[in-house]
Amino acid sequence: MKNEFLNQINTYLPSVDYCSFRFVNKYTNILSVTRNVLEPIEIIEDEGLMVTVIHDGGFGYGATSNLTREGILKATEEAKKWANFSKGNLIHQPTPPINTIDNGKYFTSEKDGWAKESNKDKVDYLMEINKALKSKPAISNWGASFRYNKVETLFTDTNGSKFRQNISYILPQLIACAEYKKQIQTRTYGGHAHARQVGYDFLKDSDLINRAKVIANDAIELSMADNCPNKKCDVILAPDQMILQIHESIGHPLELDRILGDERNYAGSSFVNLAMFGNYQYGSKKLNISFNPDQESELATYNFDDDGTKAEKKFLIKDGKLERPIGSFYSAQRADQDFVACSRATSWNRPPIDRMANINMEPGDSTFAQMVSSIEDGILLETNNSWSIDDYRNKFQFGCEKGTLIKDGELKEVVKNANYRGITKEFWHNLEMVGDKSSFSILGTANCGKGEPNQTIFVGHATPSCLFKDIDIFGGES
Amino acid sequence: MREYFEKITKELFKNINSKEILIVNFDAEESTFVRLNKAKIRQAGDVKQISVTLSLLNKEKRNLKSSIRLNGSIDRDISTLIKTLNYLKRELPDLPKDPYLMYSNSIHSTSVSEDKSSIDDREILDYIISSANGLDLVGIYSSGYIYTGFANSLGQTNWHANFSFSFDYSVYNKNNNAIKLNYSSKKWDKSKYDIILDNGLKKLEILSNPTKKIETGQYTVYLEPSALNEIIDMMAWGGFSYKSNKIGTSPLHLLNKKERSLNESISINENIKDGLSPNFNADGFIKPENISMIANGEFIESLTSPRSSIEYSVTHNASSSSEYPSSIDMKEGIIKSNDILSTINNGIYISNLWYLNFSDRNNGRITGLTRFGCFLVENGELTSPINTMRFDDSVYSMLGTNLIGLTSNRDLLIDSGTYEERSTASARLPGALINNFKMTL
Repeated sequence: MKNEFLNQINTYLPSVDYCSFRFVNKYTNILSVTRNVLEPIEIIEDEGLMVTVIHDGGFGYGATSNLTREGILKATEEAKKWANFSKGNLIHQPTPPINTIDNGKYFTSEKDGWAKESNKDKVDYLMEINKALKSKPAISNWGASFRYNKVETLFTDTNGSKFRQNISYILPQLIACAEYKKQIQTRTYGGHAHARQVGYDFLKDSDLINRAKVIANDAIELSMADNCPNKKCDVILAPDQMILQIHESIGHPLELDRILGDERNYAGSSFVNLAMFGNYQYGSKKLNISFNPDQESELATYNFDDDGTKAEKKFLIKDGKLERPIGSFYSAQRADQDFVACSRATSWNRPPIDRMANINMEPGDSTFAQMVSSIEDGILLETNNSWSIDDYRNKFQFGCEKGTLIKDGELKEVVKNANYRGITKEFWHNLEMVGDKSSFSILGTANCGKGEPNQTIFVGHATPSCLFKDIDIFGGES
Repeated sequence: MREYFEKITKELFKNINSKEILIVNFDAEESTFVRLNKAKIRQAGDVKQISVTLSLLNKEKRNLKSSIRLNGSIDRDISTLIKTLNYLKRELPDLPKDPYLMYSNSIHSTSVSEDKSSIDDREILDYIISSANGLDLVGIYSSGYIYTGFANSLGQTNWHANFSFSFDYSVYNKNNNAIKLNYSSKKWDKSKYDIILDNGLKKLEILSNPTKKIETGQYTVYLEPSALNEIIDMMAWGGFSYKSNKIGTSPLHLLNKKERSLNESISINENIKDGLSPNFNADGFIKPENISMIANGEFIESLTSPRSSIEYSVTHNASSSSEYPSSIDMKEGIIKSNDILSTINNGIYISNLWYLNFSDRNNGRITGLTRFGCFLVENGELTSPINTMRFDDSVYSMLGTNLIGLTSNRDLLIDSGTYEERSTASARLPGALINNFKMTL
C-alpha cells in the first residue's frame, strides 16, 4: 500500500529544477495512571505531505493534510508560488542534490510490537507501578505513563530518489514526590532521558516496579535531606545529567544554522564561529563527541535525513578538538563546511532545519568506582530537573534531582536542590575522567524545541558518567 | 470551515446510542510562515491542517479519545472518523472507570467568527524586506486563520474563528547586540509597523556604544513588560493550577498556603474576555470572563479543571486540563514611563529575559538570562549595552519585598509560539522596577 502511494504521488512531481515530496504519518499513544487513576488514554494520528520546490533560483514549500491528488497539486502550486516570490530574495540560493537513493529503507527493530499488548494489560502494568510508587505514606504524589510514537516517512524527488523509514520509540515516565515540612522533593525515571527505539518487550524487561520503589525511597530521603552546599568541588555527572550537558553546551552550539544566524530571533546563536572548525580546542583531550546515527536502539538512529541525505557516523569533536558542525547538506553549502545528515523536521507541516540526531560521548577508560575513589571532596549529580543557558551557549546553570556528597573517595549523604553553573568554554576543559563502557548508557529526549515556525523533535544521546574538576555547586533557599 | 465542521459532527452524532456521549474537538489552521535572516528569505511556505479529537464516554464513566488529522474532503473524512469511532466503541468496555470524568451537560452554544481578512502576505513581505534594506533583521512572519470548534452529542456547539498575523523579529548591529520587536494584529497598518521599527532602531543606536561588562551582585533593574512576562510565565508552570498547589509541586504553593506573600501592588487575573483564546474548554464548559488569581499580593483563586473539581471536591472554573492560564492580565502600577530611568537612577534596563527555569521550585526561585536590548543606566540615562548576565532570584523578592513598583502603561503581548499550531495565548502586563535583583554569573 505504501509503495503504491509512493508510486502514485511520484506522478504528481512537477516539472521544476528540483522538487521533493515528504509524506509523514505519526502515531502517538499515551497511557497515564496518576495516583492510581487512569487518565483519558490519548491516541493521536497525524499524516500529511510537504512539497519542497527549488526552481529558477527560488525556494518554497507547501504542506497539506489533504492527501488527495487535488490537495497535493494545490500544495505544489503554493510551493511554486513561494519559490517564485523568494527568487532574488533568498539568504542562500540552494543547489539541489544530484545523487539518487534507490528504494532506501530503515525500520526500528521491535521484538514485541506496541500493538501486540492490549490497552488493558498496559494499564494493569501502570497500576502495579503506581502501587510500588506509593509504597510509603510519605509519598504525596505519584504517577506513571507510557508514551509510544511511530513516525513513518516516505520520500520521493525529481532525482528519482525513494526511501521509506519507520522509526518507533517508547518513553516510560515515573514520578514520585515526597513532602516534609511543606517542602516537596521529586524523583523521576524516564522523563527527559529514557526514550529509545525499542519494542514493548523493553518495558517488560526494565523492572519498572523496582525502579518505582527506588525513586519513591529517593524522594523521601531527599525531602528530609540538607540543601546542597555552596562551594567549588569535583563533580561526577551521571549519564542522565550528562545528556543534558552534552545537549545544551555541545549539541546546540554546533548547529550550523545557529552559527549562520537563522535562530537569532528565537533559539539563539552560538559562541562557535566558522573559523573554529578544524582547530579550536573545545575541551580536554578526553572529550570525544560523535554524530552517530548508527547506534542501535538509540532515539535518532536512521538511514536518511528529511532532505534525503545518507546518514553516517562522523566525529564532531576528537581529542577535544572541534572537527565539524552539525550542518545539513544545504547549510554546509552556505558555510563551505562538511555536512552530516541532520536536516530534520518535526512532521510534514514544518520544513527541515539543522538538528541534533544522536550526539554521543564516546566511552573512556575509567570505571565509576575509580572516579569516585579519586575524589577527596565532591558530589555525584543525577537526573536533570532544571536547564538554562544563554543565547550564545556560554553561561549555563543546571539543576539535578539528586546529589550525593563524596568524601575521601566514598559516596556519603544525599543533598537536595543540587545545582551547578559554569561557562561552556571552561567547563569542558575541566573534563578529567570519562567513564568506560560499563557506565555507557543509551538515552534520549523526546522534546527538543527550536525553529521558526517552532518544532520539537526527538534527539538521542549516549554517554558514560564523567568527572569534572572545580565546578561551582550550590543549593536552594535555606 | 464551519460548515465542514457542522457536517462532520452531524454525521458522527448519528452513530451514537443513548448510553454514549460523544465530544468532538476541532482544530484547524491555514497559515503562511516566512522566515527571514539578514532581511532575506530563509524559508517560505504555507501550511493547511485540520484535526479532530473524538472523546467517547459512556454512562458507566469510561472514556477514551483519539485525535485524527483530516484531509478536508468531507466524504473521506467522515469515513475515517466513523472507523475511529468504531474503534473507540470496541475498546471502551475493557477500560477501567474514570472516577474524575466530567463533561458539560448544560447546553451553552457560542460562536465567534471574523470577517474574511483582506491582507496580502506577499505585499506585506515586500514592504518588510524593502524597508529593512541594509538592516540585519531576523525573524518570522506568520499569518492566517485559526479555527477552534466544540460539539457534543447532547446538542452543544461552540465555534471560534480568529484571523491574525504576527511579525516577530529582531534587528542586530555590528557588535551582535540586538533589539527584539513584534507587530501582531488583525489588520496590517504600514504606519504602525514603521513606528515600531523606528523606535527599535533608536534603541539600537545606544546598543552601538561599547558594551560594559558588569559584575555579579545586586542591581536596581527595570523589567520591560516582555521581560516581566517571562517571570510570570515561569510562575504559571503550575503556579495557578489547583492540582499543582494541592500536591505541592507549584512554585507558588507557599503563596497559596498563605505562608508567603507578594507585594500588595501585584494583582493577576485570567482575563478571557479581553484575550484572544476561545472562551470554552475541551470539555465544553464556558470559561468565566475574568478570574482573580492573585489580588493585592495574596493568592485568591486557582485555575481548576473539571477533573480536579471531582478529585478534590471543589468547584471548577472551566480551566483546561493543564490548568495553565491563556490570557494573563496584570494590574498596572503608578510609575509613569517618563519616570522609569530616573527611578532606576543607577542600574540596569532589561528589555528581555530568556531561558528561565527553577533553581528552587519550592521557594519560587528562578534563574535565567538577559537577552536583547539590555542597558546600563547611569545617572538616570541609558548609556551602554551590557554583557549577558544570569540572574537567580525568588519571586517573593522580585515581586515581593524588593519590588519598587509597576508602570502605569501596559503592553498587550501576543504569544508568537507555533509549536504544533499557532498559539492564541496573550498577556497584558506593565513593566516592573525592582531593587536588589540578583545577578549571579
